[in-house]
Amino acid sequence: MKTDIVQLFDNPYLALGATIAVIMAYLSVNAIMLIWLERKLSARIQRRIGPQRGPWGLMQQIFDMGKLLSKELLTPAHANKLLYVIAPIMVFAPVVALSSLFPITRTYIFHDFNIAIVLILAISGINVVGIFLAGWGSNNKYALLGAVRSVAQNISYEIPLILSVIPIVMITRTMSLYDIALAQSAYPFVLVQPIALIIFIIAATAETNRAPFDIPEAESELVAGFHTEYSGMRFGLFFFAEYSHMIFACALATVLFLGGWHGPILPDAVWFFIKVYALIVLMMWFRWTFPRLRFDQLMKFAWVVLVPLSLINLLITTLVLKLV
Amino acid sequence: MLEQSVVYLFVALVLIGGCMAAFSRQVLYAIIGLGISLLGLAGLFLSLGSPFVAAMQVLIYIGGITVAIVFAMMLSIAMSVRPPDPDVRKSMFAIGCAVVFFFAVAYLIRDTSFPQVASPASEKAWSVGALGHALLTHYNLVFETLSLVLLLAIIGAILIARKEKT
Repeated sequence: MKTDIVQLFDNPYLALGATIAVIMAYLSVNAIMLIWLERKLSARIQRRIGPQRGPWGLMQQIFDMGKLLSKELLTPAHANKLLYVIAPIMVFAPVVALSSLFPITRTYIFHDFNIAIVLILAISGINVVGIFLAGWGSNNKYALLGAVRSVAQNISYEIPLILSVIPIVMITRTMSLYDIALAQSAYPFVLVQPIALIIFIIAATAETNRAPFDIPEAESELVAGFHTEYSGMRFGLFFFAEYSHMIFACALATVLFLGGWHGPILPDAVWFFIKVYALIVLMMWFRWTFPRLRFDQLMKFAWVVLVPLSLINLLITTLVLKLV
Repeated sequence: MLEQSVVYLFVALVLIGGCMAAFSRQVLYAIIGLGISLLGLAGLFLSLGSPFVAAMQVLIYIGGITVAIVFAMMLSIAMSVRPPDPDVRKSMFAIGCAVVFFFAVAYLIRDTSFPQVASPASEKAWSVGALGHALLTHYNLVFETLSLVLLLAIIGAILIARKEKT
């Protein structure tokens, strides 16, 4: 039987405050640790040592955070002040709002919502608007170009992403993440939907703007893309948002395809996080292995390969469900 | 009390966003206003007890339509040129249309007897099966008509954007 946080606290406002506090704390610590992990992993892949301050280079991140927090917040003279300040918040806020939907264990959850998948697909689309406002508000040609690329990429890859989630909803006949995880007690859905998982991971990597799909911030062409003009903690917020989106996408893949908390011997939450971080390491591995795609290749890949493939997968799933 | 004030907050969002969309001289601000207005509308659906419609509103109108308009604007010159001065004749025509539309809708709302619902729909009513069943049986005609309208819009857009053969 499941207990959600409102039942636990017996007060909706207290529950809301506790949920936001836990998620913000987790996402912040997680982003710092993932930056460390990424630097160490990339160093290993390139036969370097990586950060070395403190044990295993862990102190490096603490110093970097101190630097980011204490830096002056510069605002470009001709920037649109309001949009410039709102944009990083709009990129980060959707992840915080949606993280409470994930069922980490089978007994204690933050909140179970019966149309969670629609809500996730809906609200995670808002961060595109944030990226666009950042590019426009900065009043910088590189930032605007990065924003244009980002919007084009995000709306293209959202379609295969949604199409790869639909087979799971068809199999389980529910849109609640808790019920989807519960339905995988016998076997994880990756065994019956391997193509959907591959499409999901590729599309999610594109949605998080990570290499090999990082053309919105391609440093050799666009300086830093949509966040060129940002400094200090405003830039830090974009950085946090990228790593939070990563863990968000990997958690969604874990619940939809890898069986969520299910696993032998170890406790539920441990299994959940093992799966999530395994996927994150996979995404980091992509970044340091594949070269960046050219813009036309990127669009062609989405519309000519991924969309038809996900439609065929959907069709086959429908047929099999009808016949069995 | 709190729920009541949240409803008024959403109504305020709808009105402020609508005014921004209608009166702004900059295309970008008009789009942002439209987005705010649509977000407020989603909030109203939520406070009326239909989270599915609210989520769909955000998914289609903010994640889809607003982003698509932004995208189309970015590729046109409308963002970088100074907006033209308002045309009095066009403004008068628009005001006339708006007034007629407002009174028509107000008249319709006054003359419709809405059924009183005791409590918002239960969780069962929003299950995937119930939604799919409703869409493909009771609302099938609406659903298919909307698809036709969208198809016509796409064909129209292609016709307008098509390059003339020289």
